[in-house]
Amino acid sequence: MKKVIAVVRREFVERVRTKAFVISTVLLPVFMVAIMFVPILLMSGGDRTSRVAVVDASSTGLGQPVSHALESEKIGSKPNAKARYTVQVFPATSEDVTKVRDGLIAKTGFSGDKHKDGWNGVLVLTDETLTTGKLSYYGGNVGSPESMTKLQRTVSNALAGVRLGKSGVDAALVKRAMAPADMDTTKVSEGKLTGQSGQESFLIAYIMGFILYIAILIYGQQTMTSVIEEKTSRIMEVLTSSLTPFEMLLGKVLGVGLAGLTQMAIWGGSIFVLSSQRVPLAGMFGMGADAAQSFPIPSMPPGLLVVFLLYFALGFMLYGALYAAIGAMCNTIQETQQYAIFVTVFIIVGFFAVFALIKDPTGPLGITMSYIPFFAPFTMPVRWSLTSVPPLELVVSLALMVAALLACVWLAARIYRTGILMYGKKPSWRELWRWIRA
Amino acid sequence: MTAASVRIESVTKRFSGHTAVNHLSMEIAAGGIFGLLGPNGAGKSTTIRLIMGILEPDEGRIVLFDSPHKSRALSQRIGYLPEERGLYKKMKVLDHLIFLGETKGIGRADARRRAQAWLERLGVSDWALKKVEDLSKGMQQKVQFAGALLHEPELVILDEPFSGLDPVNAQVMKDIVVAIAAEGRTVLFSTHVMEQAERMCDHIAIIARGEMVVNGTVAQVKEDFGGRHVALGFTHDKALAANILADRALVAHVDDYGASAELQMADGADPERLLAALVREGVGLRRFEVVEPSLHAIFIAKVGADAASAHAGVAA
Repeated sequence: MKKVIAVVRREFVERVRTKAFVISTVLLPVFMVAIMFVPILLMSGGDRTSRVAVVDASSTGLGQPVSHALESEKIGSKPNAKARYTVQVFPATSEDVTKVRDGLIAKTGFSGDKHKDGWNGVLVLTDETLTTGKLSYYGGNVGSPESMTKLQRTVSNALAGVRLGKSGVDAALVKRAMAPADMDTTKVSEGKLTGQSGQESFLIAYIMGFILYIAILIYGQQTMTSVIEEKTSRIMEVLTSSLTPFEMLLGKVLGVGLAGLTQMAIWGGSIFVLSSQRVPLAGMFGMGADAAQSFPIPSMPPGLLVVFLLYFALGFMLYGALYAAIGAMCNTIQETQQYAIFVTVFIIVGFFAVFALIKDPTGPLGITMSYIPFFAPFTMPVRWSLTSVPPLELVVSLALMVAALLACVWLAARIYRTGILMYGKKPSWRELWRWIRA
Repeated sequence: MTAASVRIESVTKRFSGHTAVNHLSMEIAAGGIFGLLGPNGAGKSTTIRLIMGILEPDEGRIVLFDSPHKSRALSQRIGYLPEERGLYKKMKVLDHLIFLGETKGIGRADARRRAQAWLERLGVSDWALKKVEDLSKGMQQKVQFAGALLHEPELVILDEPFSGLDPVNAQVMKDIVVAIAAEGRTVLFSTHVMEQAERMCDHIAIIARGEMVVNGTVAQVKEDFGGRHVALGFTHDKALAANILADRALVAHVDDYGASAELQMADGADPERLLAALVREGVGLRRFEVVEPSLHAIFIAKVGADAASAHAGVAA
């Protein structure tokens, strides 16, 4: 056991020390920040107050209710929130509307402090606006779908109010009628509320599948590469004189796995910190709380976390052992590809099954795959997060996983024993069978 | 009767098609330096790998320290330097030695202390924190040497330990090997450099084609080989000696090195007659010495003859 720990430590320390590891560990959170905030930054076009010039060329004085509606929009839901727009109405007639508009456009779309009295946008209302809903907006932020949707929604509401008012509907009634529907979704499991929103469990299912997929693919292949390395550097001969194949295999899979888990933990930790600190962080990027709130925080219930970690560890070791055995069979990375493809296919099928499961977590596909050890690490945590899995099913699935893991490690150790000292020729399938039986 | 460190009992190992080791039996007594000699492809490395338990014999068995356990279980007591040197290229030298110590069951702190002592002893302590790949080949070999000896094994098995070393480093290694033997531990090393074996070994075994050719203490082997041998050193007029050396009544065999030669006298021939004849002819001599046969001469004679008889066997 002491020897296994020595191997685990070596694998772990040497891996974690590499530049590649450090760089990838640090870069991913940086990318995550970028992925989280850059689109928001681009899309929101500002939770800053926009200066909007309203050109009112309508004969019915539309400018008044529209500007009133715009001015009542706040950024965020706090009582002391800033106004979203500051509005000034420019009356015009159908003759000089073009002139007024062009004069305002000339002062529009300047960034920041360049033009203190510049406009962020010009809204042009005509008589047609009330009848057909047609109106024009000219601005520097038209590329931001979020800003445009908000603006359009506000103007639509104002127009609807005006139209209803014209038909004699009471203004207070209009206001109540126009209140938007606001739906919260919550997941139910075994008749109990889980506290997760539908969006969250979807996100968690997806993230879990993805983490496992990436971890097995990257670190499984690393296990294989490291066996090849030991063969080509001929260190294997020294090791094999003092360690049993089982000790070597176990130490390697655990060591590489721990390095992978460390990286995942750092990434997971930074996701957690980022999402819990997203409001102050957003502030640092010059965004309001509102934009940051549009990002859901995935939170993991402890039960799910345990199931996930259990399957993660078992799945990783299962695939790690297979990859190590392939490494032992081959002499170069190129050679491994023709064998590794079989393992990779299992991983890919498992991963893509997650997408099918997200749609139909209780279907026969999901249940079947939960019993197949090669797929269970992908499917089971996802099913657990989306529906309620009967405990018996979980126990059977776990038992099958453990049995498969032992079988795989045994098989891999057999191949390992003969393969690690085979230089030169690649074994045929028949020879491989002999190694296993020997 | 001292206990045997290694007992090889009629071991055979076949690889697809050819027999690398054929019914080989030998015993390596505890203590002293044992030389395993043989031409390239004789089965030296295969024999060593069989002893190390890296390969399993097809027939026969190998007993270590008279224990029922396999070499892996006994690996704490055995140090091994394989023929194919190999280290983790990216690891730091000190870390690597600590790891090798740990695989032999030494605690981490102890392994570190020993590793530092060995690096000091081999004169590479300045390189302790460098990566293995930054070291020269000779230095890497020293590091591996230290790795094999770190745990103070009572049996040290070295496969071609001196190949690829410059004279200075070879000297350092030689001193260490001798020191190990002086402590009463056992060293088994393979080589095809006879001079080295002759000077260092207490006991040798020459194998060829996987079979034992000669086995015994160096003195015994020389005595068994028999005959009277003369070492000659020429200064001038070597050509005048040609006729005398070709006289089969006087000289049975000549191993000509140019400026010197080693002769095996014909049965019953007197070395003094040879000297008188050479002086008479006016051959310039700087050395004329009646010597024991060199291991080299024995090796050439035995392995050459073995090769010849094997050919005859095939022909018959």
